[in-house]
Amino acid sequence: MLSLLTRLLRGNRDFATLVICVVLATVALSLPPAAKTVVSSVMAAPILRPVKRIAVATDGLTRIRSENARLRSLVMRLIEERASLVSLGHENDRLRELTNFIVGFAEEERFDLLPATVVGMPGGRIIEAIEIDAGAASGIEPGMPVIVPDGLIGKISRALETRSLIEPLSSASSAVAVTIERSRVRGIVRPRYGGSAELLDWQMDYVPARSDIRTGDRVITSGLGGVYPAGLIVGDVTAVDEGPLTMTIHVSIAAGLSTIEQVFVLRGLVPPSPERDAMMQTLLKEFLAEDAPSDVSDRETP
Amino acid sequence: MKIRTFVVLCTAALILDAALAPEIEILGARPDFLVLVLIYGGLGIGVNVSVIAGFFMGLMVDSELPEYLGLNALALAITAFVAASLLDRLVKSHVLVQCCVVFGAIVLRDTIFYTAYYRGSIDIFGHLLLRYSLVGAAYTVAIGLVIHVIARLANWRAITGAPRR
Repeated sequence: MLSLLTRLLRGNRDFATLVICVVLATVALSLPPAAKTVVSSVMAAPILRPVKRIAVATDGLTRIRSENARLRSLVMRLIEERASLVSLGHENDRLRELTNFIVGFAEEERFDLLPATVVGMPGGRIIEAIEIDAGAASGIEPGMPVIVPDGLIGKISRALETRSLIEPLSSASSAVAVTIERSRVRGIVRPRYGGSAELLDWQMDYVPARSDIRTGDRVITSGLGGVYPAGLIVGDVTAVDEGPLTMTIHVSIAAGLSTIEQVFVLRGLVPPSPERDAMMQTLLKEFLAEDAPSDVSDRETP
Repeated sequence: MKIRTFVVLCTAALILDAALAPEIEILGARPDFLVLVLIYGGLGIGVNVSVIAGFFMGLMVDSELPEYLGLNALALAITAFVAASLLDRLVKSHVLVQCCVVFGAIVLRDTIFYTAYYRGSIDIFGHLLLRYSLVGAAYTVAIGLVIHVIARLANWRAITGAPRR
């Protein structure tokens, strides 16, 4: 048997090599674990260990790169979301003000308010017109007053189909019949321009001398003239100049004309309606109930 | 092919198996660069050197798993012998023959390895063979085809068998 194998190996060099390799592999397999570990560390040291290290490092680098890209996109998304949230927060604040403003109207003075958004402000240093995104199709007509929560803005000067132009209080042709809220002294508020046509402030004219007007008094619409209803806030008295026959009252307008975004067009008064009032009351109650902590009863239930 | 070139190729295959193969796996199957080098390198260098290279490269691979030291050496040596001997007896430059030999070599290597590694667990053995070996073999054959095309373009006569016309 041995001689047969010897002859076979002598005749076939390749086969002999294979047999030697198989024998060596079998010996390696049957080595004690400690010896295997030593041989493995010797075999792995020159090639495999550095390669593995490089592979692990490369893998880590790839993972860091992909994580970096993922985090970058996450940061971008968060920045966008934050910007959106800030914008929504501002809008929420504005809407809250508007809601308070609407609710603040007296029961008998409930106006038919049409909300609109400012879409344009043609003009240079002087705001001569404000364009809004509602027009005749929404029931807007020239002459209708336009307000914001802070106070009066102006009136509709032109109503197109889906757009309207407001003549603001800063317009040279603007004149509002007003009264001092405290003393009920009446007058007309107009814009006052400087030499280079810049708007200086507003002035209340036709005020008799020695009228009871003080700095800080609130100026509201008087309702005279039929354009603006009575009681809309116009602004505050900032200075009082006494003259021999008349007084010149300087007024600061309450509404910031250059920063407005949403306005309300006063289309008229809403006739009293008990059904509508009841519905509003129900809606208000539901709204308040939603805001209140509703899970107390749930928590108590096992 | 010189022995030095063959050794460099084997080392490169070891590096590729360790570093690149895990990155390019498809359906969990990886290409076997070592077997490719043993077969295509064996075409130019002969059965004897191919078997010895297979044994030592196998030992290198085994050093990662000391418990089974010698198992990959055994599998690769046998695989290199069978593949090189087969190619010696067949039209070794034919691409189809090369593909079949590569495919068979991968399955043979895995069969030897799994038989020893999962002895007594025929179900695991069968699952691994069917799930990974066959896909891995097909993947390796695809890379072998690329090598064959490159060999044709570069006019490597050891692989293509005839000068480029």
